[in-house]
Amino acid sequence: MDPRFLTAKLSASILKTSLRLFGRGATAAPGLVAEYIDPNSLKKLSQYVSDIILVTGTNGKTTTARIIGSILENSNKKFIHNREGSNLMRGLIGSLISKTPIFPSNEKPIALLEVDEVTLPKVISQTSPSIIVINNLFRDQLDRYGEVETIRKIWVNTLRNLDESTIVILNSDDPSVAHLGNGLRGRVIYFGIEDKKYSLEGLPHASDFTSCIECGSELKYDIVYMSHIGRYKCQKCGLRRPKPDIFAEKIDLRDETGFKARISTPEGKFDIKTSIPGLYNVYNSLGAISAALALNISLQKIIQAFKGFEAAFGRTEVIDVAGKKLFLALAKNPTGFNELIRTIFTGRKKRYAFIAVNDLIADGKDVSWLWDVDFELMKGKVEKVWVSGMRATDMNLRLKYADIKVEGYNSNITQALESAYTNIPQGETLFVFPTYTPMLEIKKFLSEKGYSERFWED
Amino acid sequence: MKLTIGWLYPKQMSTYGDRGNVLTIFKRCEWRNIKVDVLEIDLKERIDPKSIDFYFFGGGQDVAQVEVSNDLHKYKKEALFEAVKLKATIFSICGGYQLLGKYYKTFESSEIPGLGLLDAFTVAGDKRMIGNIMIEANSSIPEKNIVGFENHSGKTYLGKNAVALGRVVIGNGNNGEDRTEGAMQDNVIGCYLHGPVLAKNPKFADYLIEKALSRKNKDFKLKKLDDSLEKATHETAIERSHNP
Repeated sequence: MDPRFLTAKLSASILKTSLRLFGRGATAAPGLVAEYIDPNSLKKLSQYVSDIILVTGTNGKTTTARIIGSILENSNKKFIHNREGSNLMRGLIGSLISKTPIFPSNEKPIALLEVDEVTLPKVISQTSPSIIVINNLFRDQLDRYGEVETIRKIWVNTLRNLDESTIVILNSDDPSVAHLGNGLRGRVIYFGIEDKKYSLEGLPHASDFTSCIECGSELKYDIVYMSHIGRYKCQKCGLRRPKPDIFAEKIDLRDETGFKARISTPEGKFDIKTSIPGLYNVYNSLGAISAALALNISLQKIIQAFKGFEAAFGRTEVIDVAGKKLFLALAKNPTGFNELIRTIFTGRKKRYAFIAVNDLIADGKDVSWLWDVDFELMKGKVEKVWVSGMRATDMNLRLKYADIKVEGYNSNITQALESAYTNIPQGETLFVFPTYTPMLEIKKFLSEKGYSERFWED
Repeated sequence: MKLTIGWLYPKQMSTYGDRGNVLTIFKRCEWRNIKVDVLEIDLKERIDPKSIDFYFFGGGQDVAQVEVSNDLHKYKKEALFEAVKLKATIFSICGGYQLLGKYYKTFESSEIPGLGLLDAFTVAGDKRMIGNIMIEANSSIPEKNIVGFENHSGKTYLGKNAVALGRVVIGNGNNGEDRTEGAMQDNVIGCYLHGPVLAKNPKFADYLIEKALSRKNKDFKLKKLDDSLEKATHETAIERSHNP
């Protein structure tokens, strides 16, 4: 064994333990140490696993990976998942390093890795993944990469050089993602939705790829599911949405409680009923089912897994707090927020809401995006709303211009949250929408109060 | 009293929350019982310069620049020059600002022609200028400090017919070199300030509304609004912009 790498692995393992002693749920630091000691750590760690599955896209990485995880679990397959949230290089290394034995064993686990959009090339340069799932591409944290087009170009260049053996799973309904399938050496599987009744009237404001990627003319949509996702074609050059191999039809969205759908695959059709809500979770489910089928897992095992599936950490999670419920959902970009609003605020019932916005690096330093969210759709559907975070005033102002009155704004997140849930009636649900760092703060607070498990222990 | 807004290329040129500026103008008029019409002006559509008082032209992705430049020259150029003669106000941000200047010179040294309503030109830079920005506005603007967020790689330089909107206090501004930010010439204004800038700089927003309405009603003055929340947001943005 390579001594440099062994040192890296041992140092990282020691650091990991001590961080946990202090009660911090971070996974990045051990990986950082390992990456520093041996920059090829990921390449060497890949010898410890059988297949590598990468999941990327702007929204739904965690949930999609979690569904794949449940299916793997149900099929008694050993796997390592970077569940603890860090999807940058050091987070991936951190997860693998702490969950693999010091020396490779005969029975190697699968590595299930959710990967930051721009970290994908670095990961692919050090590993040869069996499967890559790409769900969508939306405007998100533009202060990091400037433009969404930059990310698409990075993906094009990265995927072009994949081995023939890598299966690429793409959303057929997102023109920026579907187009990545052109000219790849290996097998491409498309997934999508076939259900007209959930079409919006037109493209929402927060749509990013509405021009044809081949020729630049405006795409024509006859169905829009969200953002620029739907059934499109280019009238000039003939580019059109690829026909999905795996698709959902007869969808029944049941507000925040979940959805039912019929899934059609080349292996047969089946119905699923889940506790994860919204059209975006139909896409996450489809991505996961496609990955499972690519791994030759039987439909039976997939169906079983869906019966017991719990929502992923923090993305959508319900926690009981003193006779009330907190529904937590990360809201960090316009399309993600728009879809949450559509899922939760379009029914008959008026809701209680809490929104926390920070502007640290992990949240995105630019809060302009709040004005690309269609908060106007919440008008008349909100019983009370509280705002918090470093940018509470920005959020408050955004709601003022949507004619929504804010109950109170306090930049201290835990104080504001406590006051909000104290002020809703027993048995009611407070819908909590934080950006990334407020989500961590809220999770920590709730776990200290004893309302939820320590969030890395699962 | 009525204000008609022409929103140029709302699909291609509105990536960074810039539509908040249109919403800000809309609501701040509505709260004063001024009726507002918003006309979305898309690709291939023509403009009637007599009917529009205020134009908004936001920022998009770099790939949209060529398509929009072609469309501007083919369908909108004469009407926008006429609009300036008729004292309409044109407010532009980022990509929109660049296209109101004379040209945008890309890395490959080709020139994307702008309209030349502003005496300015832009050259592609190799470093993207991203971050909070605060400027000290020139004395014609009633808002002393204007705060926003910039995200651009183009470097803009002003000619002698345009004056800067202000002087950079925090951030890069037009080009990261001469500490100027934005440009003004006649009733045409351009800048790199996202945020959206008008929502969190309400005096600047009202200045633009008054300018646009004075086209038909000379010396028109707006009623005051309760701007305590706008001011608080302005202050927060300034405070956060000191945070690297």
